[in-house]
Amino acid sequence: MNRLKWSNVKLILNREVRDQLRDRRTLFMIAILPLLLYPLMGMSFMQLAQFLKKNPSRVLIVAEAPLPTDPAFIVDGKITSVPPAESNLLIVDYLENQLPYAEQAADKASAIIDEGTFDIVVCFPAESSTESGTTGDDKPTASGEISGKGTADESQESQSQESPVNLVASSKPLVYFNAAKDRSRIAYERMSIAITRWQRSRDELASAGQVAGPASTAPIRMATLDLANPTGRRAALWSKVLPFVALIWALTGAFYPAVDLCAGEKERGTLETLLSSPAERSEIVCGKLITIMLFSFATSALNLICMALTATFAVRQFAGLANGGFQTFGAPPLSSLAWLFLALIPIVALFSALALALATMARSTKEGQYYLMPLLLISMPLMMLAMFPSAELDLGTAIIPVTGVMLLLRNLMEGEYRQAIPYVLPVMGVTATCCFVAIRWAVDQFNDENVLFQDSERFSVGLWLRRFVTDRSPTPGFIEGFMCGILILLVRFFAGMSLPSPTDWNSFATIAALSLVAFVAAPAILMAVALTTEPRTTLALKPPRTFWSIPAAILLAICLHPVAIALLVLVKTMYPIDIAALAPFEKILGDAPLGSMLLLMAVLPAICEELAFRGYILSGLNSNGRTRRAIIISSLLFGFAHGVVQQSLIATVFGVVLGYIAIQTGSLLPCIAFHATHNALGICFSRYIPGLLERFPRLDGIINTFNDGAATYHYGPPVVLGAMVLSAWLLKWFKRLNFEPTLQDMQEAAHQSVHAMATQALPQ
Amino acid sequence: MIQVRELTKTYSDLRNGQFVALSGVNFDANPGEIYGLLGPNGAGKTTLLRIMSTVLKPSGGSVNIGGYDVVKHPSPVRRSIGFVSNNTAVYDRMTAYEMVSYFGKLHGIESEALEERIEGIFSRMNMNDIREVLGAKMSTGMKQKVSIARALVHDPPVLIFDEATVGLDVLVGRALLDIVADLRDQGKCIIFSTHIMREVERLCDRVAIIYRGHVLAEGTQEELREKYGENDLEELFFQLISQHQEKAELGKVLQS
Repeated sequence: MNRLKWSNVKLILNREVRDQLRDRRTLFMIAILPLLLYPLMGMSFMQLAQFLKKNPSRVLIVAEAPLPTDPAFIVDGKITSVPPAESNLLIVDYLENQLPYAEQAADKASAIIDEGTFDIVVCFPAESSTESGTTGDDKPTASGEISGKGTADESQESQSQESPVNLVASSKPLVYFNAAKDRSRIAYERMSIAITRWQRSRDELASAGQVAGPASTAPIRMATLDLANPTGRRAALWSKVLPFVALIWALTGAFYPAVDLCAGEKERGTLETLLSSPAERSEIVCGKLITIMLFSFATSALNLICMALTATFAVRQFAGLANGGFQTFGAPPLSSLAWLFLALIPIVALFSALALALATMARSTKEGQYYLMPLLLISMPLMMLAMFPSAELDLGTAIIPVTGVMLLLRNLMEGEYRQAIPYVLPVMGVTATCCFVAIRWAVDQFNDENVLFQDSERFSVGLWLRRFVTDRSPTPGFIEGFMCGILILLVRFFAGMSLPSPTDWNSFATIAALSLVAFVAAPAILMAVALTTEPRTTLALKPPRTFWSIPAAILLAICLHPVAIALLVLVKTMYPIDIAALAPFEKILGDAPLGSMLLLMAVLPAICEELAFRGYILSGLNSNGRTRRAIIISSLLFGFAHGVVQQSLIATVFGVVLGYIAIQTGSLLPCIAFHATHNALGICFSRYIPGLLERFPRLDGIINTFNDGAATYHYGPPVVLGAMVLSAWLLKWFKRLNFEPTLQDMQEAAHQSVHAMATQALPQ
Repeated sequence: MIQVRELTKTYSDLRNGQFVALSGVNFDANPGEIYGLLGPNGAGKTTLLRIMSTVLKPSGGSVNIGGYDVVKHPSPVRRSIGFVSNNTAVYDRMTAYEMVSYFGKLHGIESEALEERIEGIFSRMNMNDIREVLGAKMSTGMKQKVSIARALVHDPPVLIFDEATVGLDVLVGRALLDIVADLRDQGKCIIFSTHIMREVERLCDRVAIIYRGHVLAEGTQEELREKYGENDLEELFFQLISQHQEKAELGKVLQS
């Protein structure tokens, strides 16, 4: 690739930025919308709040006996504990001496609230007068209209114990409301405040000695004290909201310019003008990428600033209106914003590169818009994950793209620097890797003339499928390989859901064997037979270039075994395994006979999974000669097929090794040998190590114990280190098995192509 | 100046499997001459010219422009050509002057020399009144003028026109042909693709007739007339195409 000429990049960048700024739609999206959106949102909130306040709640208060009068709860149809300014918000109907009411109160209240004549029903059950004033229970008994029955029964019982002669209403009412109705819920909130205040004033009078009653029944009060200072509280609130807002806008802000810059240029025909100019493609990509990044950043930053400004000015008023509870909702602290802007840069780079690559794939702006949804669908769960209350920054979450950045940001914004600092490097490393891959993808898209110049041909599924069968090539193409991987993942997922969970070793064996043969090997073999002319070459079912590669693969698996165990321990510390969930499996496996276990969990997976992942999928992915990419994608698919995160990670790493062996030896046999050995060693390790350690305690130096609830064993560092050195040496041996075709290969290929030409050209 | 040797280009196509857009194309073009590519729509002209402008890569064969191979040295090739096609549009949100100056700068022309150069082109092509007009507001003729100005800004020795008169009215079309003829007289090597016989008859020194990716005939207009004993170029064109079709059908029958 030629060296990047920055003068050209700058020229392209300047032009693109000017072009976007001249576009009214873009300007509206990035500048006008945020300027208007937040003030408008603030205003409409205020409007809404006023609207809510103006709506009075209709309350039916039913007392089975006269209410206590110290102080009176209701005077002239108004509740005394409500301040005069708010008293018109509660329209009260008061019925006294309605004995018996509490028995059917729930049913009656349900009917009344459904009818809509009242929003809430408050029932004061009767109790004997001697007990009056003793029930200082602070909280009214809240009950939903359905669950209220239980409380009603309870009060009925207490009622039946007392004599019906000298009755007074309890100060502990039953409150019936419908939580599904907003009006009813608001009425409940208002009434509970009113009742609590009334009860408190009764208590105060009682303690002042104005009312006779035992003081010992004073209720236990809960004191709440928020220990956070106001800035800290605000930071905590904003640290949850702002990263999400920032990321969403960064994504949107990247996507629309990207579609206009790539798909739009294709559509308008200016892309070819640019491509035939002296600007190199890398310069074009670079210029466009920086433009998209600028707009993404600007959109996100403008939104954040506007949101902060709205919060500072408008919300202050709103807080006054809403009678407290909103004090925490002030402007975000400046340090929060500063951290946010800093962290935004890598995220913007990642989203911009992704948007650029996707937009380059699109032929028109319309097609481009369609790609926003998948991009959102992938990134949204990653953002949401960080917003879960239980999500915390640790090594496991730090290496999840996007999520890691959001969690790190949250810690930084909350000022928890000591907790955040150790994870800065992993988070940045993962983000940088993702950025690099996304940019590479974008550059690839730009260098692919099929992507740049594909005409919109009419697509028909029938033709497309028929072509797979009629135009069979000797080995599958990239898309076929990838589709096979996706097919296996889907089949495994759905079939895995519908299969019963095993109860003993026999059912476990049946299910495991079935899913391996039917859902992994079968799709690959069927696709190889149906869609290619040379299934054996496709599945690499031929002897390796040298026989020695099979023992070498077995040796490599043995050498890598301590490394695999170390890796497993590392993964387990990062993503702890739910031991309780694994217990039934461990029990089943513990009882299993070793021979059949090795057959089922080492040999069979080795054959089935290798046929699929290093057979059909890898030869498909490798069809365009980009070996490194093929190995990585095939091992990612291999990893995903393992379902459990901890297993997936290790499988992905070993998928790379297996893919490398497959490519270097040109055969599946060394891979099967490696895979089977690897699995078998794993099984034997977990089965025999505890016993061995007991019998030979001296082994303690070689094998260490790691405790994560259940003891896990792993090799000591010297063993792992030695194993790594040996493995590296073996891998070097595999590297020397150059995949340059041998003379025999070339002769064979030449013979085949001549044969193919002859059969095509000769009329029969 | 330009050597095209055994140029082949195949695409994979959903409907037809492998689609051969160009098959073994050969020709040479020299400075001071207009080389015409005559062929119906879908003959492979645009593919050929896209390969020459380094936008597409050939599947086989080679193209050499000014001593540089289009695959091995695309950058110097792009510097020595000016490409005008109906696929190379002008930017909607840029004025004529900005557009030409942008591409001049991409060619690395110093700003003073560039200004002088643009002034020269604009006055020669009567473009001074559209200097500040945005691309979106231009008529097809104006756009084509801007495209030509853009292709000329770095004074390339080779100019490639791909169906450049499509969509132009008679007046503008004629003016364009005059510009092309003028450029030839300046000693440029010009590739001019079209499906209109009259343009070929008026302009081209030598012609290649292309049909379905094959060059059916090649030479000066006189040579072609003599070789096929047909004075009318249009008749000659039809003859060649029907001959080719007959051959192709015969081949198919033989194969089945």
